[in-house]
Amino acid sequence: MVTSTNLLKKSIFALSIFIVVLFAIFPFIQMLSTSLKYQWDWGNPSLIPSKLNIDAYKELLNIGQAEKEVPQSVLNLLEENTELSKKQKKEILDKYKSTGDVFPFFKFFFNSLILAFSSAFISVLIAIFGAYSFSRVRYKGRGIIQRSVLLVYMFGPILLLIPLYILSAKFGLISTSVGAFITLMTIYMVLTLPVSLYMLGNYFRTIPYSIEESALIEGCSRFGVIWRIVIPLSISIIVTVFIYAFMIAWNEYLFASVFLKSFAELNTLPLGLRQLFVSKNAIWDRIMAASMLSAIPVIVLFMLIQKQLTGGMTAGGVKE
Amino acid sequence: MNSDSVISKSIFTRGSILEDREKKFGWFLILPSLIIIVSLVLYPIVYNIFLSFFEVKVTGNNEFTGIQNHLNIITDPAFWQSVTTSIVYVLFTTLGTTLVGLCVALLMNRKFPLRGLVRSLILLPYVAPVIAVVYSWQFIFDPVNGIFMHIAYDKLHLFTERINLIRSPDTSIYVAILFGIWKNFPFSYLMILAGLQAIDTGLYEAAEIDGCKGWQKFRYITFPEIYFLLGSIILLRAIWNFNKFEEVFLLTQNVKVLPIYTYLKAFTGIMDIGHGAAIAMIQFILLIGFILIYVKRVLKW
Repeated sequence: MVTSTNLLKKSIFALSIFIVVLFAIFPFIQMLSTSLKYQWDWGNPSLIPSKLNIDAYKELLNIGQAEKEVPQSVLNLLEENTELSKKQKKEILDKYKSTGDVFPFFKFFFNSLILAFSSAFISVLIAIFGAYSFSRVRYKGRGIIQRSVLLVYMFGPILLLIPLYILSAKFGLISTSVGAFITLMTIYMVLTLPVSLYMLGNYFRTIPYSIEESALIEGCSRFGVIWRIVIPLSISIIVTVFIYAFMIAWNEYLFASVFLKSFAELNTLPLGLRQLFVSKNAIWDRIMAASMLSAIPVIVLFMLIQKQLTGGMTAGGVKE
Repeated sequence: MNSDSVISKSIFTRGSILEDREKKFGWFLILPSLIIIVSLVLYPIVYNIFLSFFEVKVTGNNEFTGIQNHLNIITDPAFWQSVTTSIVYVLFTTLGTTLVGLCVALLMNRKFPLRGLVRSLILLPYVAPVIAVVYSWQFIFDPVNGIFMHIAYDKLHLFTERINLIRSPDTSIYVAILFGIWKNFPFSYLMILAGLQAIDTGLYEAAEIDGCKGWQKFRYITFPEIYFLLGSIILLRAIWNFNKFEEVFLLTQNVKVLPIYTYLKAFTGIMDIGHGAAIAMIQFILLIGFILIYVKRVLKW
């Protein structure tokens, strides 16, 4: 009797866990499944493709696209024509490789990578000193500073978007592609700075002060303490905060859509994906494959820092 | 004793020169962060208020119009429509994420095999880029191919025809709310779980001796212990959901919450920045009002 109610309880528990996990990851499974299906297979509710289709990935990653789209007559013509040099032949062939224009994945990926990496790097660098200042150094006014950083949590992106757009337009920053790119990078840095300050500040408080004190007694300078003791001791949380800031910038759409509107060559992955969806090239398997490719870097990074991040998020403030 | 008092003992007793140096050092370190936040967050907010009194031209001079922008906005029925949409959206997403988050946290507070894996999996909605998951949702609710209509129409006969829930104006808000809950419940779950784990297990043991059953334990111990935590999480989520743009805009064009209304006014068609700034300002005032009432009533500060 006891064991049977226990068994029932256990299976209800297992079932609830299963439902929660399914709820959380079903859209990801659906994404993967559709990205691997042929068009005739889309309506099939089964998540396992009847026949595996990796064309969408090949197309986006530009693998084996070289000869596929070139009409046979052109190939024949090129072969018969001996007067053309190799270089000229290649140029003609390149004209038929149109898929790069549909969704130049690597270009978007590269743009996103530079933006997210540089903004996260600068944000964390500035935050290390700022967080050390208000978690360790004692002076008047640091409480107010700490609270005003908290205040930034309340401002929605839309409230900042309008004034920042007008300011950068009036200063002529968004009339050139380089200017727009740097402006956007600075904005991402600002958006990630509060969370970096908070998570680092909360961690620095847990480092025993006696370690720093003994270094000071040994003749280490205050900067030396930060450089030789605080940073090495908190390297794992620094990496975590960096990756979190990186993810915020990587995922951002709104600011990018406004600031990079007239610079197609600088578009980030989210912008490219949006354009793919609204263009005539929108085909489900292609969209899903592009979604997978945009999500995978973030998911991999997240898995690397998962434990640290959940600790850091719950210990202090966290901003989206 | 916290580290602050240790610092003060070890350094400040040595005299005011050190104290002064300490102060300079502190300001020196915080200065870059401070300059950035003041010049790129606080100043723009003030500038936004300033802009709302002008007819703004991206190139050329702005034209002062007083409170005309604000008046135009608050007499526009579309604005109030948008306020209503926002309230509905914020109310249901906030309650939904908190409720789902609480249930999941209660489940995850027990030990079971593969818990580590389950933990990472259920955080995925929160960390994945919005843009990468909206299209998967679009596909799930696609009237022709989607699994939702396959189940709801073919199997359960809940609908009389296969309709596009995301495209149709009446139903899109429900999908947006569901999407918001799905995307953000991991955050609430994480915070609540941290709160649950901080509860002294002795309390439960004492309650068991007094003959408390499962529900009573939740009602009389767990809930009071995490009341203020829940209150703060709801507040944070309400603020963030009120400011949400991408999660709604990228999923559906039909749910015009306030940030989307602002965006459409300011950046599409005839770009009307002045009106956009006015809406953003009114939106912010509404938010502050809500926060003040909430903090007083629920958090009892």
